[in-house]
Amino acid sequence: MNVIAVSELTRRFGAKTALSSVTMSVPRGGVYGLVGANGAGKTTLIKHILGLLRAESGSVRVFDRDPVVDPVGVLSRLGYLSEENDLPAWMRVDELLRYSRAFHPGWDDAYADELRQAFALDPSAKIKSLSRGQKARAGLVVALAYRPELLVLDEPSSGLDPIVRRDILGAIIRTIADEGRTVLFSSHLLEEVEQVADHVTMISHGKIALSESLRAIKDSHRCVTLRFSESRPQPPAIAGVLRWDGHGTQWTAVVRGGSSDWKVDGADVVSDRVASLDEIFVAHVGGG
Amino acid sequence: MHSAATALAWEFRRRHRWGMLAVLASIVALAVIRLVVAGSGPAAFENDETFAIAVLVPMSAMFLYLLAVFSFGVAGDIAARQSIFPARMFTLPVTSSALAGWPMLYGSIAMMLLWLATRLLGVWPAGVDVPMFWPLLLGPSLLAWTQALTWTAYPMPGLRVIVTVLWLSTIDAIIMIALELEASEGVMLALLAPHVPLAFLVARSAVARARRGEVPDWRHVFAWVGRYTSVVTRRRDHFTSPARAQEWFEWRQHGRSLPWLVALLLPFELALLFLFHEAPVIVFETLCAVLLTPPFMAIFVAATVSRSGSQTSDAYGVTPLIATRPLTNASLIAAKLKVTIRSTLIAWLLVLVAIPIALRGSGTTPIVNDWLRELVKGIGMPRAIAIVVLGLALLFASTWKQLVQSLFFGMTGREWLIKTVAIGALTCLGVIVPVAHWAFGQAVILAKLWAALPWILWTLVVLKLVAAAWVAIRLHDRGLVSDRTLLAGAVCWDVAVFALYALLVWMTPALIVRRDALALLAILAVPLARLAAAPLALAWNRHR
Repeated sequence: MNVIAVSELTRRFGAKTALSSVTMSVPRGGVYGLVGANGAGKTTLIKHILGLLRAESGSVRVFDRDPVVDPVGVLSRLGYLSEENDLPAWMRVDELLRYSRAFHPGWDDAYADELRQAFALDPSAKIKSLSRGQKARAGLVVALAYRPELLVLDEPSSGLDPIVRRDILGAIIRTIADEGRTVLFSSHLLEEVEQVADHVTMISHGKIALSESLRAIKDSHRCVTLRFSESRPQPPAIAGVLRWDGHGTQWTAVVRGGSSDWKVDGADVVSDRVASLDEIFVAHVGGG
Repeated sequence: MHSAATALAWEFRRRHRWGMLAVLASIVALAVIRLVVAGSGPAAFENDETFAIAVLVPMSAMFLYLLAVFSFGVAGDIAARQSIFPARMFTLPVTSSALAGWPMLYGSIAMMLLWLATRLLGVWPAGVDVPMFWPLLLGPSLLAWTQALTWTAYPMPGLRVIVTVLWLSTIDAIIMIALELEASEGVMLALLAPHVPLAFLVARSAVARARRGEVPDWRHVFAWVGRYTSVVTRRRDHFTSPARAQEWFEWRQHGRSLPWLVALLLPFELALLFLFHEAPVIVFETLCAVLLTPPFMAIFVAATVSRSGSQTSDAYGVTPLIATRPLTNASLIAAKLKVTIRSTLIAWLLVLVAIPIALRGSGTTPIVNDWLRELVKGIGMPRAIAIVVLGLALLFASTWKQLVQSLFFGMTGREWLIKTVAIGALTCLGVIVPVAHWAFGQAVILAKLWAALPWILWTLVVLKLVAAAWVAIRLHDRGLVSDRTLLAGAVCWDVAVFALYALLVWMTPALIVRRDALALLAILAVPLARLAAAPLALAWNRHR
């Protein structure tokens, strides 16, 4: 059964189409990476999954329930951490844990305490006195301590230092270590997604540009650098090339297709390697 | 933009262009009224009421609007400790004098233009010698002090409202006393002239300190309260249910504001009993003011009740933290309602404890005892007790009603709707009060109104019940409230209406007011439709 099933979801804000006929499903278990440029529609999609936006057309089901009709049924089973960390400034860390605990019967006190200590969070510290990274850690403890079936992270490490980003990635790994739990992780930091995601969905201008397992994506994209004998104002037209970069005699292509058997008249293959997720992302949604 | 001054002016113009256009339209309307009333001859209204409706009310509304715009009060949190001067402007490469000075200058010019337009284009009551120059300084003075006092950071939440209201009232009182004493134009000008420069110095210092992040904090003075709270918190390890946790959240977020504000004001008000303990009239007025303090302060606190966070950029929306609580919309609203009841109870407990202590301490108990004896002698003991109890119950209910009656609009999270309703309510109030005042002076109209009263009441009751039925159907259809809760709510409302009706019947002789009119009044007095619609509004806000 799918944990999340989004079908033909379209959302407009005035004249702007934020999501256009988006269809995706997230199966139970594993880490699902949602990547896209700023304003691509990642947060809008996540807000629909949380029930914070009502589907104008199409449908959203989480745990086979409509999150707008049954918010309690959905929200009690998922943990959420957003870039827009809005923990109340006046609360102390221990108050935040005590408050959050009340909403989740499955809250694990020992686990919460273990996380709190691992993140060096002082229970008597007020949220407003915490640094941005510490706030993210506090939010992470609250999102993880009841071992939710689905963990939704919306740009959780945006603007944070590498140590906090490492903690967040560690939390994702902890979550999937519990069998059957699922993580939906949105980010534009592709090297992070590449480290933990099993499945990647690229979203661009409200549409899904690519959605496959990370292995399939990596296997099906190559980065080939060619050196031509004469300088060229334009790269040659070759089927399967998603994007060209370069100038003069040296051009680099991101190619869709598994074959490394490239032969171009008047050019030598300088390098032929597996494309990084960053290069694939730019090739699919980067324009230019 | 060639300079910071131009940029600041552009921001005011761009951001408030529609409001400014409305102000201009009102001034044009004043000119049209003048043309219609006066033709080519001298213009004057024959009575004060017409003047109030045609000139005074629109001018007051425009004055308040400009006050809010140029003090940045439209977007600021006036209850917070921090300065309401926009923090984004602190990093602009200009001096604190410029930051404080330009808005003050633009606001002062706007206020002066408003007065000149009103003075020259408005139609005034016959026989009134309207001064020209000193009111030209009054608007800028009040604005400058509002700016200075609202841009200042305060050591306690809510203190800004109290300090600003007290200081502006003091300036008003000085002007009123000077007018009573028939001060000359020169004296009035001398009284008003120092205000803008003084306020500028205060504002410049406030902005400079806010820029450095200096916010005084007296909360440590009340640390013992915090320590006591901590002990209580530790004693109770966990919340027994999500609903209790949410009530705790609402209490900590908004619930304490009303008791705090009442507690801060009471000593100042009750001090008057000690100062004027030999003047029964002032004792009476002071006690009235004290009893009206909770409902009055509830008006200010009400704006914060519907908010789910004080630091979110979209202050009217539901914060993600609250929106993702696994609670139904009805449970989130129920937590707010329970906390408003607790706030009201504590605020009134403070009042009811403070009054006897102040009466005893000031030696004014005999004065109050005399009034009570007169009341008992006049209407008998049972009715006297009923009047006192009913009066307090009405004040209590009124306080709670003030806190929750705008909850529906606030919970929609739509800034345009909230601001439209607020401006509409102020406008209606501005029109209704002078119209009512005028109507009470017209015997014919009063008689017609009295005759039409049952019809008016019936119309309002039908509208209220139709709205309530629509809300109930929507709540049921969308599954926002269970059938049992709907039924329980309806029964509670019925009981409250019947109880109020029974009391009104017992209190009011049948010869004065008909029984059916009392029943209609009871139905109208007990909140129903807007309160019931709060979960609908929250659902509209939470699931956009």
